[in-house]
Amino acid sequence: MEEDIVDFALEYARSKKIEYAEIRAQSQVQDRLMLRNGILEAYVSAVDSGFCVRVMADGGIGFASTNKWTREEAKEIVDLAFKYAKAANRKEKLVFAEEKGVETKWTVDQKEKMDNISPEEKISALVEIDKALASCGVNIAATMSQCSIDLTSKYFVNSEGSRISSFLPKIGAYIFITVTEQGKTEQASEQFGYSGGWEAFDEWNINEKMVHDAKVLRDVITKGKAVKPGVMDLICGHEVTGIAAHESCGHPMEADRILGREMSQAGRSFIFKGGPFWIGARIGSGVVTIVDDPTIEHSYGYYAYDDEGVKAKPRYLYKNGMINEFLHNRETAARLGVRSNASSRSINYDREAIVRMANTFVVPGDMTEDELVEDVKNGVYMKSFTEWNIDDKRFNQRYVGREAYLIENGELKHPVARPVIETTTLKFWTAVDAVSKKVEFDAATCGKGDPAQGVPVYTGGPCIRLRGVYIK
Amino acid sequence: MKDVLNKTEDIVKKAKALGADEVIARTTFGRYRQARFSNNQVDITVAWNDYVTDVTLAWKKRVVATQMRNFREVDANIKKLLELAKVSKENPMFGGFAKGNFRYPRSRADEKLRDLENPTDYVFEAIGAAEKEAGSKIESGGILLTKFEDVYVVSSEGPVGVDSRSAIELSIRAFSQREASGHGVECSSTLRDFKPARAGMKAGEIAKLAKNPEAGDEGVYDVVFDPLIFGSLLSVWGSMVSAFNVMVQLSVFVDKLGQKVAPEIVTLKDNPAAYSMANRVFDDEGVPTRENVFIDRGVLKTYLHNASTAKMFKTETTGNAGLVVPNPWSVEMNLGDMDKEELFQELKRGLYLTNTWYTRFQNYAKGDFSTIPRDGIFLVEKGETKQSLKDIRISDNALSLLGNIAGASKERQHVHWWGEVDPPCLSPYVLVRNVHITKSK
Repeated sequence: MEEDIVDFALEYARSKKIEYAEIRAQSQVQDRLMLRNGILEAYVSAVDSGFCVRVMADGGIGFASTNKWTREEAKEIVDLAFKYAKAANRKEKLVFAEEKGVETKWTVDQKEKMDNISPEEKISALVEIDKALASCGVNIAATMSQCSIDLTSKYFVNSEGSRISSFLPKIGAYIFITVTEQGKTEQASEQFGYSGGWEAFDEWNINEKMVHDAKVLRDVITKGKAVKPGVMDLICGHEVTGIAAHESCGHPMEADRILGREMSQAGRSFIFKGGPFWIGARIGSGVVTIVDDPTIEHSYGYYAYDDEGVKAKPRYLYKNGMINEFLHNRETAARLGVRSNASSRSINYDREAIVRMANTFVVPGDMTEDELVEDVKNGVYMKSFTEWNIDDKRFNQRYVGREAYLIENGELKHPVARPVIETTTLKFWTAVDAVSKKVEFDAATCGKGDPAQGVPVYTGGPCIRLRGVYIK
Repeated sequence: MKDVLNKTEDIVKKAKALGADEVIARTTFGRYRQARFSNNQVDITVAWNDYVTDVTLAWKKRVVATQMRNFREVDANIKKLLELAKVSKENPMFGGFAKGNFRYPRSRADEKLRDLENPTDYVFEAIGAAEKEAGSKIESGGILLTKFEDVYVVSSEGPVGVDSRSAIELSIRAFSQREASGHGVECSSTLRDFKPARAGMKAGEIAKLAKNPEAGDEGVYDVVFDPLIFGSLLSVWGSMVSAFNVMVQLSVFVDKLGQKVAPEIVTLKDNPAAYSMANRVFDDEGVPTRENVFIDRGVLKTYLHNASTAKMFKTETTGNAGLVVPNPWSVEMNLGDMDKEELFQELKRGLYLTNTWYTRFQNYAKGDFSTIPRDGIFLVEKGETKQSLKDIRISDNALSLLGNIAGASKERQHVHWWGEVDPPCLSPYVLVRNVHITKSK
């Protein structure tokens, strides 16, 4: 990164008739490894580096980026962004919620620095996963393993005096397996993510987890029975709790969606002004509190300042079953008369920062997992999921169990093959009557934006118990 | 142009001189312009200038790759990449990069799209068309994207080529009521064939019809799929014939070569032709692209290959090499022999679906999946639209849907939007029997 060019671009932007300008530069050292059936397909190692300018003029916004580090290019993109902002010709002029300029630096520590880990070690770590799977006694038809390492340096300056430098190392892994038994197949994937160093790879226990998944899939094929469709209780493991929190709380609480800015692609929200659901409306039972918190140390969605230079903090989205606080950037905050809560994120210098989640989870209660199960006469324990989706107003959702068990009279019985809950956001969260005390997180890549911007997040929570929901 | 090609060639020569067995360098100068709009106003207009050289090399069957953003530090980058190759792990299945000296057709990219700096006028044209159809109270949002890429590929194995690739697309979603919307897209490789009003009209027309929707019912329905939603399915099937996806079981087509997977009326091909948004004259190994019929009158004929996967499958590359794995470029379904109206007449009590999103699989090898229709869901009885519906889900199987295709229209549309129809597709209206619909309880 050439900070002098960034500073030059800001000064050049300031020389124009603008309401606001920012330059965001990013340099990312990337490693990508992909194995197919234990064989390294390719090792990609690259550095991506560039900068963007965002300008507000005449109540419109223009954005331009480049990866050519010259002053001429900087001038060109500032000129373009300025021209685009003016050409927007908006009836409703945009403004940003107020923020004071910040000068700071932040970084995330690595116990085992990525730079000290050789390519051989990284390859070997992935190969070991395949070896563990190959010797676990389950017939594995295919595997795909990926590892990504990103060492991201950013330099952010704006016309309000902010100057923020940061360094954020991240590591991610994705494993996909297919198990074949008795001529039938089942599949599972797991994603892992961490902000920090290589120490994460050992802490994840991927080999153990994937072998567990392989055995679960085998048991689903050989011992799994379909559930008799009907109304029953459901216990969601942390994976299912987390995806539900992400999909049916985090996404509908994004203020840009609520205001219609994502209306064409990611859609709108069941929450809208004048509708039945707004701040203060009930959306779940009193034991449901869902938080989105970018400040969880070493989390996959961690950041100290967002991509508009606003200090990160926890956001209480649903609080005691009530709609409480939307996710905002400075644009949406201004439109709804509040302050930004630092939800503006971008995956790279060539993408506009938009409203995003970070780490979304259900706040724990005071029960043990066993206590949740003990009080169920007839139900299903859905520990993990395969297929899932939700409509674009974030109200009608579906989760299909991967590892799931029948519960009869407070005891776990045989595996249940692909049980399905297909219900509404209101019914799902209203049915929750108990929450366990242990929170666990899962890494995920949240999709939004056009072009798509997959941002790293955690989803998570404790086990939750839903009473009287329809399972098929 | 010659200068960039020479610099790209130099990278290959340097890598060879340093000991690489095989090298491909591809330099892309991309100019992308996008306007994003919502509530009938432009929210942001975006420009990206991207300069990148992708270098992939093999040393003793170890495949490594990097990206360079300038031509200044080539030597150091190549040395580093070779060092990486030397500590990397052998891929015994690596069959080498494509070999040969090829001639390519001249690119027919539209230079007007290279020069188009501010595309916002097209946005207002589309919004205006939607308003004309459904009234001035309609709220529209979407994107307009233009792309112009100059691509230079040089391979140590022979291929050397220069291509220009142009595309323009508009995606507009119009709301006539809170839960009544229509979606239209307009996709082209040239400005001449790009008609933004067409997308706006379609979005407005569907949005108007979609007013006052009622919750749909579960059941098994015959369905007429609009080209936009059918494009989502075509892009799924297209991805599933990538040989890589077959090898990792992300496909319903494993071990099905030569088998009947669809009725005789179904022919599907991959075709990055000049008119496609994904137009290209060579793939990432420099192999000339071509039309590849992968389902011919219902029979699965081929997977899509790069040189290496082709060797594994004892066949030839199909010109679908991506940097690491083969990909479909642009999926087409052949024209049918029915008028659009005739397709609707086939629905005694069925559905007309116009768009979908969030397609997710339980099991790619088996094909079980669900997807959520949006933007105009209609109950059709005896060919007549009876009621606008909402809140339903297709919960079915990718092979069953393919097998239950019962008719296709004589007209087709070029469709692409977001990640839902990607790669771009050329799709007719399609009638599918016995589609399983579920809903929330």
